[in-house]
Amino acid sequence: MADLVLKHLKKTYDAKQVLHGVDVTIPDGSFVVMVGPSGCGKSTLLRMIAGLEDINEGTLTIGGVTMNDIDPADRGCAMVFQNYALYPHMTVRQNIGYPLKIAKMPAAERDRRIQEAAAILNLTDYLDRRPAQLSGGQRQRVAMGRAIVREPEVFLFDEPLSNLDALLRVQMRIEIKRLHKRLKATSIFVTHDQVEAMTLADMLIVMNAGRIEQVGTPAEVYRKPASVFVAGFMGSPAMNLMEATMGADGQVTLDVAGGRPMLRLAGLAEGTPLTVGVRPEAITLMPEGADGLQATVELVEELGGSRIAYCALKGSEIAVVLPPGDEPYEGRQVTLSFDQRDLHLFDRITGLRVEIEPSRLEKPQRTKVAAH
Amino acid sequence: MTTDAIKAQLTLARPLRRKAAEGIGLNSAAGHLVMVLLSIVCLFPVYWMVATSLRPANAIFETSLWPTTMSLENYTYALDSIPILRMLINTLVVSALTTVVQLLTGLLAAYAFARWRFRFDSLVYTAVALTWLVPFQVVMIPNYLLIAQMGLLDTISALILPNFASALAILLLAQAMRSFPKEVVEAARMDGAGSWRILWGVMVPNLRGTIASLAILIFISTWNEYFWPLLLTRTADNSVIQIGIQMFMTSEGNQWGPLMAASTLASLPVLVIYIVLQRQVIQSFMKSGIR
Repeated sequence: MADLVLKHLKKTYDAKQVLHGVDVTIPDGSFVVMVGPSGCGKSTLLRMIAGLEDINEGTLTIGGVTMNDIDPADRGCAMVFQNYALYPHMTVRQNIGYPLKIAKMPAAERDRRIQEAAAILNLTDYLDRRPAQLSGGQRQRVAMGRAIVREPEVFLFDEPLSNLDALLRVQMRIEIKRLHKRLKATSIFVTHDQVEAMTLADMLIVMNAGRIEQVGTPAEVYRKPASVFVAGFMGSPAMNLMEATMGADGQVTLDVAGGRPMLRLAGLAEGTPLTVGVRPEAITLMPEGADGLQATVELVEELGGSRIAYCALKGSEIAVVLPPGDEPYEGRQVTLSFDQRDLHLFDRITGLRVEIEPSRLEKPQRTKVAAH
Repeated sequence: MTTDAIKAQLTLARPLRRKAAEGIGLNSAAGHLVMVLLSIVCLFPVYWMVATSLRPANAIFETSLWPTTMSLENYTYALDSIPILRMLINTLVVSALTTVVQLLTGLLAAYAFARWRFRFDSLVYTAVALTWLVPFQVVMIPNYLLIAQMGLLDTISALILPNFASALAILLLAQAMRSFPKEVVEAARMDGAGSWRILWGVMVPNLRGTIASLAILIFISTWNEYFWPLLLTRTADNSVIQIGIQMFMTSEGNQWGPLMAASTLASLPVLVIYIVLQRQVIQSFMKSGIR
């Protein structure tokens, strides 16, 4: 069992705190993706788990054993680095076999494991080449091979796909997922790419400014973002966020668009500043003058399978995912229509989610907001 | 666009291109001319040394570019007068050992400076760097006294001992190690390698260029060392070749023929190293950024 427990982990560099007490339990065998913008502390956290960075405060246990002062090689973790970190002077065979050589494994067993890893990663034909003679994808596979042969309890991936081109990224992503299904070892993957995060993870850890914002399955994080940061970060195009205020009559009204009422909600004090969020795919474009928010389509991006329309709404921009089609929308006046149940509400002071219980909604059906 | 218009454009473009090509050609020729001149300036003294060493005593001050008469008498005289072979072997031993030892101490110290954080590390590093600025004349007397007290005067080991560590080697290697990819070292740590294995198994094989160029620098500077051997050596048998050359410079005048013959013999090993390893030497110097 290799449950990973992080208890109140803190990290400080030269009096600057970069991790402010991280608490999370990573279950054995799960594929966990830590995602967040650059500088949020995700790589630092991964390096602390690996033993490459000291832990200033808190405890890290793997399989019940406290690892704070254990040497990186003895933690049962193997790491795949962003820049591959292969030994340039060694062949693929020597690179993959290096950890086993250091562990003084008998040559026959070592060779068996190298062959096995090479077969899994389709590297058998390249075993006698040096890293310089390999492509980016092949190098990354060698780095993974070096991790596999150790048969670690925990795999750590530090943005391993960042240096690959778009097509190769997708291929490697699938290979990593397939590998995890086969080896079933706990894997922690760091990325700033939310598509990578959503597709790979059993469990997502969204980080921001040295803190965990939300832990959950990709679907949970997407459907119920715990904070306005998560709402804005996860999803492409990002969730549309509009400032709103709680009115006296229990109506949440948008600050823009002439103070339009969005939904009726009980239990919040009058004047509470809120942020209303709605996913671009939850909005439907209706003809001008229909019941809803009146906006102008400024730009349409063609993605082949779908289109994204960017609509101007009294100073703010609303993205809408459109089904594929040829209808020219650019420059047209339209009505934005959405269901109340697709709205997300956040406290603008704390940034945290305000749960909208269906029973608190005035009408559960699609809401058309009356035009002024 | 009509064919005529395209032709007209091509006719216009051609002289321009030719002009540009001529410009590049002229620049290139001028560059080559400068390089040829510089090469002559560098090579002429070497040629003159060899040419003079082949002139007989009565024609030593001849100014003709090519010796009118050639003889090897200067070489036989030089070889008979001083134990040149012995001195060359001594110089080779001193230079080779100094190179190996300086590289060894340099690699160990550089690794510590580049990879470890310890109290006052930057202070110690600065102190090492400052020793490079201390002139030889300042340490000459204390070193001499120390060697004398150790009873090592007129020995080969005395020539090597004060040169066990070199600031240049430490600084250069530390710099190369600092620019070595951190991830590779971290990967080695994750793979279970300790500092010793990371140094010899991961870093050194990848710093061959820097180490090779540094080795050549140390070897040549030790080979050309004159003053320290002059202070320490008493007998010709324990001397190095630079002292041997100086023996042909007397108060009664210089024996130019044997002097040039001995100098030619002294230059040969270094020249051979350059000629044999020319490509590798230039490559390693370029890679390590030493010019």
